[in-house]
Amino acid sequence: MKSLIVACCIVLLAAVSTQRANADIAKPKPPDKPAEKQVLHTSLEIVPDPKAFEAKLVISESDWKQLRAALDGTGGNAPLAASITRSSTRTIIAGLLMFLSVSIAGVLFARSASFGRTRKTVGAVVLIAAMLGVAAIITRGNAGPPPSYRWRNLPQALAEGKSTVGSVDIEITPDDTQVGPHIRLVLPLKKQNSTGEE
Amino acid sequence: MQSVVELKIWPAARALPNARVFASIVVLCMLASAAFASWLPLQVSIVTLFLFAGPHNWFEFRYFLMRLPVRFGRSRTFFLTAFAGLGVLTIAYVSLPLLYNARLWSDEAWSTVIATWNSLLLFWLVLLVWLRSKQKLHANWTWTIPAGIGLCSLNWLAPDTFSLAIVYIHPLIALWFLDRHLRRTRPAWLRAYRRCLCLLPLVLAAMIWQLSQTTPLLDSNGLFWRITQHSGAQVLPQVSSHLLVSVHMFLEMLHYGVWIVALPLIGRWANAKFWDIKTVPVARHPKGFPRVIAGVMMLAVVVVVVLWFGFSVDYSTTRDVYFTIAIAHVLAEAPFLLRML
Repeated sequence: MKSLIVACCIVLLAAVSTQRANADIAKPKPPDKPAEKQVLHTSLEIVPDPKAFEAKLVISESDWKQLRAALDGTGGNAPLAASITRSSTRTIIAGLLMFLSVSIAGVLFARSASFGRTRKTVGAVVLIAAMLGVAAIITRGNAGPPPSYRWRNLPQALAEGKSTVGSVDIEITPDDTQVGPHIRLVLPLKKQNSTGEE
Repeated sequence: MQSVVELKIWPAARALPNARVFASIVVLCMLASAAFASWLPLQVSIVTLFLFAGPHNWFEFRYFLMRLPVRFGRSRTFFLTAFAGLGVLTIAYVSLPLLYNARLWSDEAWSTVIATWNSLLLFWLVLLVWLRSKQKLHANWTWTIPAGIGLCSLNWLAPDTFSLAIVYIHPLIALWFLDRHLRRTRPAWLRAYRRCLCLLPLVLAAMIWQLSQTTPLLDSNGLFWRITQHSGAQVLPQVSSHLLVSVHMFLEMLHYGVWIVALPLIGRWANAKFWDIKTVPVARHPKGFPRVIAGVMMLAVVVVVVLWFGFSVDYSTTRDVYFTIAIAHVLAEAPFLLRML
């Protein structure tokens, strides 16, 4: 009897532990959602027109050509940072030249007899700061206010019948993931409280 | 003692009203240019280019002839390098549109071609600086070597943006010429002029502040599209084309003003007739070339008239051709500016 109880306890323990082990196994990944593809960064103007009969989407010829080029996979004019990252050859050449430039500048600076230690230190700090600044500009680390800043007064502008201009990323989504209307405009607007503060 | 003091003070006191008038005119021109360029950028661009592009090239050409020595002497290597680089770079630049139309390369390869041309330009400039520094005893311009390589690096990161930077920086070189010219001919005005230059970033900042959120200009026709593209609307799509065209036009107007008005009217050439060949040292000198200079100057006048005729017949095509060939005068400014430093 005693051995039967022990056996039952072992079976029960095994069953519970199996359940716990199953619970710890990560859920299978859902099928990958087709990625949204950003093809163009441009500006958008929202213009309320009381005389217009229907809403209208106006795209410049150059933007349209870029969109077509992006969809065809033939490139187009990508933003600065994107164009840098997409060209490995040019990035390598640029990196080598930057290395050469900083190295020569450093040697010239160190050999320069006309500068005192303090000036050299200040110069080195300025040089490092400049390099960090350039790197930050390239990586868009200091891109200024976020793009949503220009859209903040959109409701008020619409109410007053004024136009608003801001930047916009145009994304192409696969047809099967599209929900609702065929063209959707997503605006980075935050809900405002009663005091008018965001 | 009193008379000595009076003699010392008198020239400065006499020059002061002139300097003030000069500064007032500079400020007025700067503000008027900014206002017109901001108000009607496309229209002002068309009219300004039509009227002043050719004449400003003629005056610039004449200015370079004025500064050309009769015999190169110790500067022989410098001038040979300058003219050789000028010829090679201009021919290469003019051939770029033809190569582009031939569709020989992909967009990526095309960026590499542009980056290569920009690199050759920088190499030529650094070489000229080095040659010039060898002629100056106390000048230490070795810092330009790493600076040039650094610029070359940035050029390889974004060749289109670097080319666009040349478009915007080139008009400012005229202001540097004027600075050096005043230093030689009207030193009493130099301080006032430099104070006026301090106003330039403020005007630019005001223009950017006012125009950054304006509606992009309509580039519905080929000409307007060309103007916006030349100002960088395609390279900087996130910036309003109104701002780009206005700022570019503002700088161009200052550039034209310096070459057509300021430099010919200031200094010892103010009293000389600008059409008189004998005012050019290369033509006036006993060992000079008066007939060659006269012929070249006349040919330049014909080119200006042809340019006006071309603008009248087909403005868009003439504009494209002009801005392609005009790279020669952009390049030519470098050696002559270096000679003045």
